[in-house]
Amino acid sequence: MKHRRSLAERAPFLAALPMLAILAIPLVALAGASSPGDIAAGARHPLFAPAFWLSTRTTLFSLVVIVLAGTPLAWWMAARPGRAPRLVETLVDLPIVVPPAVMGIALLETLGRNGLFGPALSSLGLRLPFTTTAVVVAQVVVSAPFYVQASAAAFRRIDDDLLTVARTLGHSPASAFFRVAAPLALPGMVAGAALAWARALGEFGATLLFAGNLTGTTQTMPLAIYTALESDARVAVALALVLVAASALLLIPLRAVPALLVRRLGVEHGA
Amino acid sequence: MRTRGAAALNAAVLSATLLLAGCGSADPERQPLRVFAASSLTDAFSDMAGAFEASHPETEVVLVFAGSQVLRLQIEQGAPADVFASADPRHMESLVGEGLVTGQRVLAENELVVIVPRGNPSRIEAFADLVRAERLVIGTPYVPVGAYTREALRRAGADGGLPGFEAEVLGRVVSEESNVRLVRAKVELGEADAAIVYRTDAAPGRVRTVRVPPGANVRAQYLIGVVAGAENAAGAERWAGFVASPEGRRILSRHGFLTDVTTAQ
Repeated sequence: MKHRRSLAERAPFLAALPMLAILAIPLVALAGASSPGDIAAGARHPLFAPAFWLSTRTTLFSLVVIVLAGTPLAWWMAARPGRAPRLVETLVDLPIVVPPAVMGIALLETLGRNGLFGPALSSLGLRLPFTTTAVVVAQVVVSAPFYVQASAAAFRRIDDDLLTVARTLGHSPASAFFRVAAPLALPGMVAGAALAWARALGEFGATLLFAGNLTGTTQTMPLAIYTALESDARVAVALALVLVAASALLLIPLRAVPALLVRRLGVEHGA
Repeated sequence: MRTRGAAALNAAVLSATLLLAGCGSADPERQPLRVFAASSLTDAFSDMAGAFEASHPETEVVLVFAGSQVLRLQIEQGAPADVFASADPRHMESLVGEGLVTGQRVLAENELVVIVPRGNPSRIEAFADLVRAERLVIGTPYVPVGAYTREALRRAGADGGLPGFEAEVLGRVVSEESNVRLVRAKVELGEADAAIVYRTDAAPGRVRTVRVPPGANVRAQYLIGVVAGAENAAGAERWAGFVASPEGRRILSRHGFLTDVTTAQ
């Protein structure tokens, strides 16, 4: 009797195990494939430091752009019922479905020398391909959908009555957004931002095509790993492990933030 | 079943291709021959496969294209390959050293050329004009084409009487690609003013070609060998023989390869 109960208790974990295994085992194998000496050598490799700092800088900048420009879009999508937002929602999802390398070509067709806005940009003396700005543009395009969708979902969960009450109590729409909607949606927004940031950090295809691959200027961590893979797989594995470790270190606090916010806000609402 | 090199943009795509190649329900009448070849052989070996299948109807050629280093890694990890054709002798030699490939021989040679967009915005007519390129794209030093490119620039500067040439040209580089097809793509798309690729990748019609002087140029050797424990070892030998046959050489030279060095069986 006791045995059967414990099996029933374990059932959810056992059911979760296959997915957990397929996600975790490759990373464990990657770690097992290289010694601490390999990882130290990877971190000292000339490709590592410039790529690491470039990835850190560009992904954080991309995240700021995504939050500033993505939040209004998410709010609009959540606030307006009807056909237009549903169409927009599909559009926002497309960069997730389209292969990133194709997004890179699309960006060249838009902002490249022979692209839609190419002549206009070059008459202003601006060129985007092969610059760090191009890295940010590529990251924003491929990772913003994750933030926008998560934020729109978070906004949709807010009780409309709360916003109506805020307005009747004299709040302007902007004030209602910042004082009521944003704090309530914040955990969802932060989770979306973490997802978008992680996607930007792993961005490879669009960057390769649109921004190119030059150490210190456009060679982010995924590109450095790919470059190393062409010459020495062990270095590539070491670089990849450092990237995995750095991502984990940055994702753990980001994951913790929504939980903390919920607790804090929960206390405030209770008071 | 065939795969195209352009699709093998990254290892993930390649792994998927391998997986599909492994699981595909092949024609039971035709024995598969798995040819792992460097990306720069994509066009030549695709034609080669057609000609080979016409004269060997019992064989179904499965082509897998990627960088030589990636293919070497996959063979070391036990990928089901029958033949390996490498653009970099080092990768072939290390596989031979590990006992994973046997009977390696020279398949063909390649050399470098400069390519420019058809409009030629920087008006590059000779190798020495590279200093005029506003945006130059080359291979990274970690891939053979990039290493050969640096060697050619060094030779042109030091031995060709162009002091400072190497540093000045490298200063024009806006991107270092990890694959020769990506180098070419930047010129095809008109984003780069010039690039240095193998002559086999020059794609006449889509880009214009400028010669690299023989004194500065570097000859790249392609090697071919049979993978140890190949499931279709007999087919692998027949493939290597076909590549070295007059018909095989004709296909290779049509795609720009230099075959005067090809070792007959």
